[in-house]
Amino acid sequence: MTQRSTAVRLPRRSPVDGLRRHRLGFAEVLAQSVSALAPTAAMVVVPSIVLVEAGAATLPAFVAATALVLLIGWCLTQFGRRMAAVGGTYSYTAKGLGPVGALAGGWALLVGYAAVAMAALGGSALYLAGLLGLEPTPSVVALLGGVVGLLATAFAVRGIRLSARVTLVLEVVSVALVAVVLGALLLVAPGAPGSAASVVDAPGHWGGLAVGIVLGVTAFMGFESAAVLGVEARRPLVAVPRAVLWTPAVAGVLVFAAAVAQVVLLRAAPLDVLTSPVPVAELADRNGLVLLRRLLDLGIAASFFACVTGSTNALGRVLFSMAREEVLPRTLGQTHRRFETPHRALALVLPAVVGVPVVALALGAGPLEVLVGALTVSASGYVVAYVLACLAVPLFLRRIGELTPLPLAGGLVAGAAGLAVLLAALAGAARGDGEVLTAITVAALSPGVAWALWLRWRAPERLRAVGVYDQATASSVLPGSVPAEPPR
Amino acid sequence: MTPAIDRGLTGRQPKAVQSALAILETVARVGAGVTAKEVADELGLPPATTYRLLNLLVGEEYLVRLPDLHGFAIGRKAARLTGANGAAPVCTAAREVVADLRGQVRCGVHLVRCTPSTLHCADVDPDHPLQAPELVERHLHASAPGKLLLAEQDDWQEVLSPTRLQRLTERTVVRPADLDRELRETRRRGWAVQGGQVHGDLSCAAVPVRSPAGVLVGALVFTVRGADPAAPAAHARLAEGFALRLGPLLG
Repeated sequence: MTQRSTAVRLPRRSPVDGLRRHRLGFAEVLAQSVSALAPTAAMVVVPSIVLVEAGAATLPAFVAATALVLLIGWCLTQFGRRMAAVGGTYSYTAKGLGPVGALAGGWALLVGYAAVAMAALGGSALYLAGLLGLEPTPSVVALLGGVVGLLATAFAVRGIRLSARVTLVLEVVSVALVAVVLGALLLVAPGAPGSAASVVDAPGHWGGLAVGIVLGVTAFMGFESAAVLGVEARRPLVAVPRAVLWTPAVAGVLVFAAAVAQVVLLRAAPLDVLTSPVPVAELADRNGLVLLRRLLDLGIAASFFACVTGSTNALGRVLFSMAREEVLPRTLGQTHRRFETPHRALALVLPAVVGVPVVALALGAGPLEVLVGALTVSASGYVVAYVLACLAVPLFLRRIGELTPLPLAGGLVAGAAGLAVLLAALAGAARGDGEVLTAITVAALSPGVAWALWLRWRAPERLRAVGVYDQATASSVLPGSVPAEPPR
Repeated sequence: MTPAIDRGLTGRQPKAVQSALAILETVARVGAGVTAKEVADELGLPPATTYRLLNLLVGEEYLVRLPDLHGFAIGRKAARLTGANGAAPVCTAAREVVADLRGQVRCGVHLVRCTPSTLHCADVDPDHPLQAPELVERHLHASAPGKLLLAEQDDWQEVLSPTRLQRLTERTVVRPADLDRELRETRRRGWAVQGGQVHGDLSCAAVPVRSPAGVLVGALVFTVRGADPAAPAAHARLAEGFALRLGPLLG
């Protein structure tokens, strides 16, 4: 092959410049994913819900859910190793499915982050109220939620590094607290099988396993959010994929251990403990371990707070990406001169994340209903975004001429499995008492598709830039090897 | 970083290292825009292995993916492999320009060559020699030409680890945030100064020499006794004309 005379030219500036470049170490990148996943809440709440549905198939269901999430994570690393994105799976999807698929997925991702931030905000406020000894009336929850939201936004605007460190500390503390509580309960509580044993040991069947997997997968939502740190991470093409794989692996181990502990604990418990909102807390109460209960509440409140911060960070960066593409108003794409964060996009997030739960509470919804509703909507949003990104993998790799059989199979299997999870969840909810929730979910997700089609029809020029990422500039190559674009 | 257990190179690792080097060589030879498929065909490597090695090299930033995502180019980091020796010797015409400048000022005047990430004291004033050229070359955060080089980077921490801001005197900047501030000021001003940061009783100013294409290729450095940076800075305006003459000779 001879020397090529290409007309390659590189821009002088990255389309996503303005964010603080390459400052986050791996621990801080990992913190972003871990905080959005909220491992403490997942460890305490999800296993008991799965137990009710899956019985003896609970542990296999968690193993399968972890495997599925790891497969999805592996698919996302196909993008993460090749491009440093700020819009997470939204930017990834754009490179495979094009702008319309990207916007549908991007909207779903926004819904996922926003709804989980709302749920975590509500959860944090609820547990704080409990800690402070306040009655969780809507006004108290709204007030505390406002304070939590303001604080999280302040951290997020002040800098990704600060908020990553705060969330990392909070997560380590809260996971340690949960481990202590579960360990102490294991020492104190187990005895002869209680009335819940019949549910815990109910013979596994395929239907129960399927529902268990669907619920188990929700424990991992948000694991991919390190993918919004493409500009801010040091060596992003190494750190981001590693965080996207490590987070579900670590969370999988933690949640599995918590599930094992709860299988042992709840087998010996009365049935009404199993069906209470937070069985671990209920168990601590009944064993007279009031201090443990307080510690657990503190841990969960901290983890929820970290989750609000993590989700806000991710949400702000997806909006920032969309604004830089001019899909959204350009003003959201500005960054703070000193803090180098997308402060306008983050500031837009705050009223939405605080406002929706407060309005729902004011309209008379119970705090727990709001929390569960927001989590359900969020999980659906995430799964839609993941499915589209996984399906985009083979198309992306084919476009850049790097498709091999493994990613082809991985993308298709992960996409199909994710789709099956989504349909099973929606069908399950629609069959049970969740028609309202299913309707809310569909209503929350469909505007994305409508928005994408509308833009395609009326303003296709605004879709041209969809998929911006921190691309190579004239200063990232060997000086003099590739000419720069002439200044405009 | 976790301490590595030394198991030596095992299995197919030597082959992988050789293949990675061959890939770098191929991208350098064929030129910017070469695709993964072309690299695999050229080297006769299996596609999956080639893509994986390419991704590793891109992750380590020795290669860069071009904006279309399927072409590759050699990354800026590869310039570090040549080090300070990458700069060509200074030609006589350039030395004459520097000698001319020395005749007009009463302080040390030195010519420093810059590569994208290193400095080399190429022409030291024979009448006012630098006390320790290696300190200037090594401690980029403290010396004036070093600050100039760092200010040129999108991200100075890619060239100098923030944990290596060594304290040479009590005036040396050792906090990354302080260095950030100095570099912002340097960019705004267009040239760099420091007072007493390398040696307690010396201050210096560095005026950039740019190639006609605008790339930083060198610096004219003034050294003056005393820790007040205003003294060497007074020569900056005069030096700018000489820097313009030097640009085409060095770039």
